[in-house]
Amino acid sequence: MSTPRTNGLSAEVRAAIEAIEAGPQGPDVGAFFDLDGTLVAGYTAATFYGDRLKGREVSPAEFLRTVVTAVDGELGGDPTRIAHVAFAAMRGESEEAFADLGERLFRSKIAGTIRRESRALVAAHQRAGHTVAVASAATAYQIRPVARDLGVEHLVCTRLVVEDGQFTGETDGPMLWGRHKASGVRAFAREHDVDLATSYAYGNGYEDVAFLSSVGHPTALNPHRDLRAAAARLGWPVLDLSDPVGGSLLAAGRTVAALAAMNAGVTAGIAYGLARGDRREGRNLAVRLATQLPMSLAGVSLEVLHQERLWTHRPAIFVANHQSSLDIPVLGRLLERDFTIVAKKEARWDPRAIVGSVVIDPAWIDRSDSASARATLDGVVERIRGGTSLMIFAEGTRSPTPVLGPFRKGAFHLAAQAGVPVVPVVLRNTGELMRRSSLVLNPGVVDVCVLEPETDWHEDDMSERIAALHRRFEETLARWPA
Amino acid sequence: MSDVERWGAAATWSTAAELSPMQTLLWRSERHPVQSSTSTVVIDLDRAPDWARFVAATEWGTRLVRRLRQRVVDPVVPTAAPTWTDDPTFDLGYHLRREQVSSREEVLQRAAQMALRPFDRSRPLWEGVLFELPEGAAYVLKIHHVLADPLGTVQLLATLQSGRRGHTARKPVGDDPAPTGVDPVDLAVSGLREELAALPDAARTTARTLGHAVTRPQAVVASGLRYGASVRRLLTRGAPQSPELSPRTGKKWTFLTLDAPLEPLRTIARQGGGTLDDAAVAVVLGGLRRYHRRRGSDPTELPVGVRVSLDRADDLGNRFTAAAIAGPLAIDDLVDRVAAVRGEVLSLHTERALEVLDAAAPLMNRMPSFVGASALRAAAAPDAFVMTLPGPPRRRFMAGAQVQGMYVLGPLPGAALTVVVTTVGETACIGVNVDASAVADVAALEECLAQEVDAIAG
Repeated sequence: MSTPRTNGLSAEVRAAIEAIEAGPQGPDVGAFFDLDGTLVAGYTAATFYGDRLKGREVSPAEFLRTVVTAVDGELGGDPTRIAHVAFAAMRGESEEAFADLGERLFRSKIAGTIRRESRALVAAHQRAGHTVAVASAATAYQIRPVARDLGVEHLVCTRLVVEDGQFTGETDGPMLWGRHKASGVRAFAREHDVDLATSYAYGNGYEDVAFLSSVGHPTALNPHRDLRAAAARLGWPVLDLSDPVGGSLLAAGRTVAALAAMNAGVTAGIAYGLARGDRREGRNLAVRLATQLPMSLAGVSLEVLHQERLWTHRPAIFVANHQSSLDIPVLGRLLERDFTIVAKKEARWDPRAIVGSVVIDPAWIDRSDSASARATLDGVVERIRGGTSLMIFAEGTRSPTPVLGPFRKGAFHLAAQAGVPVVPVVLRNTGELMRRSSLVLNPGVVDVCVLEPETDWHEDDMSERIAALHRRFEETLARWPA
Repeated sequence: MSDVERWGAAATWSTAAELSPMQTLLWRSERHPVQSSTSTVVIDLDRAPDWARFVAATEWGTRLVRRLRQRVVDPVVPTAAPTWTDDPTFDLGYHLRREQVSSREEVLQRAAQMALRPFDRSRPLWEGVLFELPEGAAYVLKIHHVLADPLGTVQLLATLQSGRRGHTARKPVGDDPAPTGVDPVDLAVSGLREELAALPDAARTTARTLGHAVTRPQAVVASGLRYGASVRRLLTRGAPQSPELSPRTGKKWTFLTLDAPLEPLRTIARQGGGTLDDAAVAVVLGGLRRYHRRRGSDPTELPVGVRVSLDRADDLGNRFTAAAIAGPLAIDDLVDRVAAVRGEVLSLHTERALEVLDAAAPLMNRMPSFVGASALRAAAAPDAFVMTLPGPPRRRFMAGAQVQGMYVLGPLPGAALTVVVTTVGETACIGVNVDASAVADVAALEECLAQEVDAIAG
C-alpha cells in the first residue's frame, strides 16, 4: 500500500516549483504569500482569541458582540468589523506582552499548522532570489514568528497604533483586507522595485481576488469555495496543498494501542532479561518489542536511506535532529540494540519518559551542577568505549517546526574524547505525524536519511566541522535525496 | 472579412422569435426616461452623403436585418414572452429623416432631445436622423435595448457599414419571409395552454426539489444563506453616492463626446494589469476626481457601475450583467488606479448572486410589471456607469461618407452619468450622457474629463 512519494510533495506542487525555477530569477520578482489558510492551515486569529477565552479575558458582552459581528460578517456584512472589535478590545494592553504571547502561541500551536508544501514553495522562491513577503490582514504579532521560521523578511500587514508601549485599539491605516491588501502590495512593489507583472501571489480567501490580481502569476491556494469559483472564471491556477495531519479519533485509538503494546514490550523484554540473567540482552529485546509492534499499530512506517551506515561504525555517537516525541521511538527502532541516550535529570520523572528510561538506562545529566555533569559524562565515555553507542539530539531541544536549530557541541566533544565516529541521522516529518505537545500519533511514513559517518573528531577543527555538518543537515532537509 | 461576407452574416443577426427573459424584464419595466432602455449613437461623417443613396442603403439594411422592420407584440396577460412580428405598415419615412443644423453642439443637443422622446412601442424600435452640417454631417441613431443592446448596436452598425467609399452593386439581401401576424390575445392564450401542458412536469420538478431540500435541510439552508449574503454584498459593495452628483431626476439628458488615442490607453491598461474596460473606468474616475476637487469636495470612493461577464472573465460573450464597484478616487497615479479598478472588478467574480437578475427574471415576468421595475431599482444606483464596446477596427463608410467617430450615449438608470467608450480604428470614442439636474456644472465636468484624457495622450 505504498503510494509514490517524491519529496513528500504532490505532482502539482512539484510542477509549480519547476515553473518557478524555470521563470525569471532575482529580487525584481516578488512572491507574496497570504498567511491564514495559505501558509498555515486555519486562522491564527482564532488561536489568539481561543487563548483570550481560556484566560477569561473576555467579558460575556464582548463575547456576544464578537459572535454577532462574526455571524454578520458571514452573512454579507462587513467582515473586517470583527477584527476592529478585537483591536478595540486590546486597548491598553502592552505591546511587548502581546508579542510574547505571539511567540508562545507560535511554539505551542501555530508552528504545527504551517503547511509543508507552502514551506517548499517559499523555499523555491527564496532559491530563485525573489523578494518574498507575507501579505496579510493579520498583525505583525501573528505573522512575525511564522515569517521568521520561513526565513521571510518582509511583512505587508495591518499595523496597530502603539502609544507608550500600549495599544490604543486603533489601526495605523486601513486593515489590509481585500482592496487594501492589494494596494499595500502595490505600494510595497513600488518601494522595493518589484515588477508585479512577473511576480507571484498566493491566497485562499474570496477577499484575496484583488490581491491576487495585482500580480502576473496569481495562484488560488486551498481556496475558499467562492475563490475557487472565481479562479475557474478568471483562469487562475488552483493548488490544493495537504494540511498538517490533525489527531483523528482513529489515530488516538491507535496511539493508545501503541502505548499499551509499548508497555507490554518493555515488560516482556525486562522479564526475559531477568529470567536469563542478562540485563543487556533484556534491554535490547525490550527496545525491539517496544518500538516495532507499537509503531506498526499506530500505522507509522519508516523509509530509511543508507540503513547500512547505522551498523558499520559502532560504537558510535548517533546525532539526529529533533522535532517530535516520536523521534525517540523512531531512533530506538533504527538503532535497535546496544545504545543509550543522555537525558537531563529533570526529565527523569516525566511520565512520558519513564518507560524509555527503564528500557535504555540513560545517562542522567544534572545541568545545574557542572562538576557532577562532567563526572556523568566521564562515565558515558566509559560506556561508549565498552561498546554502547550513544544517541544525542544535536539541537539539544525539540524545534517547534522542521527548521533546524543550531547544534550544541556536547555530542562532538564526547566523540573526540571517546575516539568514536559520529553518525548523522536526518529525520523528516516526525513533527507532522506527532505534533509538539501532542499526545496523539498519526499514521504515516517517517523519512530517515543516514549521512556518511564522520571519524577522527578533534577539538581544534571541531567548530568548522560542526558548522559543515549543520549545513549538510539543512541541505538534506531542503532537498531530500531520491 | 469582406463586406459581402459580413453582410451575408448580418441577415442571420438576432432572429429569435421571442424576447429573452431579461429583455422581457427590461421591456415591461421600462419607465422612460427615468428607467430607460434607449441608446443613442452619434456617427460623425466627413461629408453629407447623397440623401437618395443614404435612404436606399438604409432601406437595404432593413431588408437584410428583418428585426429593423419588426415590432414587439405583448400578450394581453403575461403568460407568454413578448414576441417579434413583421410590421406590415412599416414605413421607412417614419424612421429616417434628415435635418439641417449649424454646429456639432446642436447635433448633440438635438440627439439628446430625440433620445428623451419615448418610442412608439407599436412600431419597429429605432429612429435615424441625418444631420447635415455646413461641413460634414452626423447620423444619429436611436435604438431600443430589446432590439439591440449597445454592444449589439455597435456590432450591427459596424457590420452594415461599408469598407469603401464607392457603391457596392450586388449586395446580398435577406429572404422575404411570409408575413406572420401575431395577435395579443392568441399569444396569451397559447402561452397559457403551453403552461398548463407543462404543469405536471413543473410540479414534479418542484416536488423533487422540495424532496431534496427536506432530506438535506442543512445544506439547503447554508447555501441559501450564502446566496443571501452574496446579494447583500453586491448591493452594498459600491461606495456611498457622492453628494456632489445629486439630485438626480434622470430627465435632463446632456450629451458630451470626447476622443482619446487608443494606443496610450491600451498601454496604461497593460501597465496596470487590466483591460481596456478597467482603463476606461480609471480615466472616468480621474475626470470625476478633478471635478470633485474643483467643486471643493474630496470623496475617496464613488460607486461605479461596470459590466461583468457571467461566463469567463474578460469574455465579451452573451452573458453579462451590471454590478457596482467602489471606484477609487483617492489614487493619484493612473496606472495604480487601473490596478485598483481591476481588483474591484475581478472581485465581483466571487459573488454567486451575480446572475440574480437573470435568475429572477422569468419569475418576475409573470408578475405585474411594477415588481420587475422595483427590482431593477432596488440596487443602489451608482454615480457613473462605464463600459467599453469594440467598434470597427478600421474607419468605414456610410453611403460614400467616411465615419470619423462613433459615440454611444447610453441611458441613465439612476446614475449621474453614463460613459460608453467605443473603439473605432485607433481612436477611443467616448460618449457621455450626463444628468444635468445632478451635475451642477456640466461644462466643468466636460473640461475635467478632457483634461484627464489629455493626460493620457501626453
